[in-house]
Amino acid sequence: MIEQLVYLMPIVTVLIGALILMFQSMYDKYKIKDFIIVSTLFLVIALGFAIFHFGDLFTTRPFNDIFNNVIIFDTFANFFNIALIAGAIGIILIGEHYAQEQSYFKGEFYAILLFSLFGMMLLAHANELITAYIALEIASFSVYIMVGFNTEDSKRVEAIFKYLVLGSFIGAFFLLGTVLIYGLTGTTNISEIAHYVNSNYESDLSLLYIGIAMILFTFLFKIAAFPFQSWVLDVYRGAPILITAYMASVFKIAIFSFFLRAFLQDFISLSGFWETALISITVVTLAIGTWLAITQTIVKRMLAASSIVHTGYLLLGIIALGENIASAYSIMFYLIAYLLSALGAFGLVSHVIADTKVRVTYNDFKGLGQERPYLAALMTIFMFSLAGIPSTIGFIAKFYVFTEAINAGYAYLAIFAILATAVSIYYYFKLIAMMYFYPSHAETTESKYNDGRISTYMIGLVAILVIWGGIGSAIVFFIPIPSIDGILSVVELSVRSLFLK
Amino acid sequence: MGAADILSFIIFLPAIVAFILMISTTKVEDVRNIAFITTIIILVLVMKIYLNFEPKAEMQFVTNVPWISKYGINYNIGVDGFSLTILMLIAILIPTSFLLLWEGRTKGYWINMLLVQTGVTGTLLSLDIILFYFFWETMLLPIFLIIGIFGSGNKVFSTIKVTVYTMAGSLLMFVAIVYLGVSYYNEFGHWSFQFDDLTNLSLLTYTEKFWLFLAFVTAFAIKIPLFPFHTWITATYSDAPTGGVFLLSSIMAKLGVYAVVRFMIPIFPDVYIQFSNWFVFIGIFGLIYFGIAALMQDDIKKMFAYSSASHLSLIAAGIFSLNSYGINGALYLVIAHAIATGGLFLLVGLLHDETGFKTIKDLGGIGKKAPIFTFMFAIMLFSNVGLPSTNGFVSELLIIFGIYQFNPIMGYISGITVLIAASFMLWLFQRAILQERVGSALQMRDLKVKEIIGLVPWVILIFLMGIYPDPFIDKFEPTVTHFLDDILRIDEIIKSGAVK
Repeated sequence: MIEQLVYLMPIVTVLIGALILMFQSMYDKYKIKDFIIVSTLFLVIALGFAIFHFGDLFTTRPFNDIFNNVIIFDTFANFFNIALIAGAIGIILIGEHYAQEQSYFKGEFYAILLFSLFGMMLLAHANELITAYIALEIASFSVYIMVGFNTEDSKRVEAIFKYLVLGSFIGAFFLLGTVLIYGLTGTTNISEIAHYVNSNYESDLSLLYIGIAMILFTFLFKIAAFPFQSWVLDVYRGAPILITAYMASVFKIAIFSFFLRAFLQDFISLSGFWETALISITVVTLAIGTWLAITQTIVKRMLAASSIVHTGYLLLGIIALGENIASAYSIMFYLIAYLLSALGAFGLVSHVIADTKVRVTYNDFKGLGQERPYLAALMTIFMFSLAGIPSTIGFIAKFYVFTEAINAGYAYLAIFAILATAVSIYYYFKLIAMMYFYPSHAETTESKYNDGRISTYMIGLVAILVIWGGIGSAIVFFIPIPSIDGILSVVELSVRSLFLK
Repeated sequence: MGAADILSFIIFLPAIVAFILMISTTKVEDVRNIAFITTIIILVLVMKIYLNFEPKAEMQFVTNVPWISKYGINYNIGVDGFSLTILMLIAILIPTSFLLLWEGRTKGYWINMLLVQTGVTGTLLSLDIILFYFFWETMLLPIFLIIGIFGSGNKVFSTIKVTVYTMAGSLLMFVAIVYLGVSYYNEFGHWSFQFDDLTNLSLLTYTEKFWLFLAFVTAFAIKIPLFPFHTWITATYSDAPTGGVFLLSSIMAKLGVYAVVRFMIPIFPDVYIQFSNWFVFIGIFGLIYFGIAALMQDDIKKMFAYSSASHLSLIAAGIFSLNSYGINGALYLVIAHAIATGGLFLLVGLLHDETGFKTIKDLGGIGKKAPIFTFMFAIMLFSNVGLPSTNGFVSELLIIFGIYQFNPIMGYISGITVLIAASFMLWLFQRAILQERVGSALQMRDLKVKEIIGLVPWVILIFLMGIYPDPFIDKFEPTVTHFLDDILRIDEIIKSGAVK
């Protein structure tokens, strides 16, 4: 009983935290700082519970008479839980400065953030399509609200409506797909669908194929792949930058957590069906993302557009899954790498915006290297990581994805992705060039900024993680610290837990 | 610290010092002094390695520890005859170049110079191909910042151009590296990116090898630069600050040559032999083409950029000449050219800083104003054109022998075209330095004692290597022989008639 409860604790803690924050926000006397403290506290407790099972190989269904197989607790879900909670803590702490400077931030924001996190964690645990849909909608609706939080920005109405209408519309496809799959197989439970597919491999599965295609639509929409990428720029632009970071990194991980499970358990034997379609989608996603990223002048939009390119790399991993199960490790590692890099990059932009309120375009970053050398150095690290330059975690992640893709026999696709990487150097390095190669056009002095605060320390911590992930134990081999090998073995363990009986 | 750890120490000391300097608030003079002392410490350590090195073909001072064990990637470093010579070269060039760059630099400049040193030594000593790529890319980043921040003219454009150019090349190479690793995995059932292991690959088809070879050669040809991948050099060399040009021309370009010898030839011996004709041709074509282009230039930096490319083409021709004359000569020229071009670029940088001019027609009358400067300039120039008793002579002679043995006609052509280099260099010397200037005399100071001390080791090396080359060649000769006999088995192949 107690043992089973421990498995539930992370997700329950987040839910309780969300409820408490909601009640707390009814009182005017609490300031944003108090909400940050309370929400961080709950998340740290939840993280503690999640880490409790870190490194174990397990799969269990606690209170199965209540939940009836709809949620599952295994190493895989636990891995994603840790990543999601850590990402949310990162967003809250890095955004501490930004949130306190903007008048529109209210306590409810943190309650909604935790609700959305609850939905995402549930998504990672979901073992059944309807549950997954509900979890996805809990997360999505919370994010819809947060997207429209910035009452001072005229772009927010466009952002929230675009996202809400399109998101709900695409959600209907998920339901339709579920219905079709249910019509054929008589179940919505993932492992039972897998069982059906394996035992009826010879029979007519066209309903299942259509159903999978529908579900795939939702997946592609949520990760912003072609042809569903058009919402990204406007939504990311109109949302408060913390939410942009949250959507680009944490939400994406949650989406992958469920679909990776579904692909690996269910649909892997059918991969020939979507292979051609996904290959063309990947190519176009990479091309469009690259094109959009080159043409942006606003840094936030550039980061948003480049997130489409990163989606393309992840799709490359998904394609390779059909031939090569090890590709799942590379996808998961890439998600972690992107989480760290994007968290740092978006977070740093938010920190800079909070002070000056003008730094949004490339031009506004001119001279940052002289004004605030430490921040510029950190930003450089994140840009390197996003561009996949060695000595950052982004390089190792790209190495894994490309290696597994080539190993699965998709060498041409990998070369195409490499070309996109080569171009990406242009738009990432442009920002570095702006920071260092041009004189500052503001006459303000350095002392005006207060950089010794939680936001900056947190960004610094993320930067250290980015570097550590890229170097690992290679260079400091005489100091026994956990290396990137550690992450990889955890990832491997997670995937293995999917196939435990 | 064991003997093997010294290499790791040599690689990472500059980076560690650079990071400490970065977060501290030290004055710029102290930063410079600390950076200089760091490079001197490294020089001493490299000396120690050089003296303890036994003239054998195999790797020595090897450190091999797992890095990413799932993919068989190791932190594997070691030194053999090839790398030792270049390591020694870098260790001498960098501290002495600091002496010539001594005044008027900022903190970021010195920090980046230190970071470059970590990048280049790491590239040189890596025996794991992923580790090699790691350092290969990392060494570009400080250069990116040096050119962009401290350059002149249209510096941002030049910086972005050179970065995207070289990165695109390296990324192609990256695909090839990954492909090699995957092939190894498919053949042997476990992952490895060790350079030794990759030479055992036997299942690659000829087409695969050809494309992989091409990907590698593109990356290295951009860095060297070989025709037709040279279009970045003029803009970059003329906009980059002196230190940046020095690093690019005299150190990084050599690493491109080194990488060809270290990685491409052992991994793709048959493609290397098959296409040697083409590459010798491209080399000699480049020698002529860049020589003529250099004749046309009025900007001294651009002229040296082309002349440097011209010499590097000769080195490439030597590398592909398939005999020990050519390869030994090419390696010798790598050293000779690094010293001579490095010196010339630093002196031209000084000239530019003092007079404000870098075009030949604006200069003149330097000889009277600054005799020691002129003397040093002349020695570097003579070494560069290969005057007898300088090291340039020995190496060019060896290469021309090598090319002649490979193909007599190409040997004649290369012998004649080396003259072009001599002609434009001496012409430049006459016009820019010796001849009286039209109009008022230029403001030009002579070399300071510090700068002379910096240049003296180079001058000694130029003559020592030119008059008594044996001890230097002895260090890398066994490796070259090992290459030709054990890896390429040139004799057998020539006997079997596969290559004319």
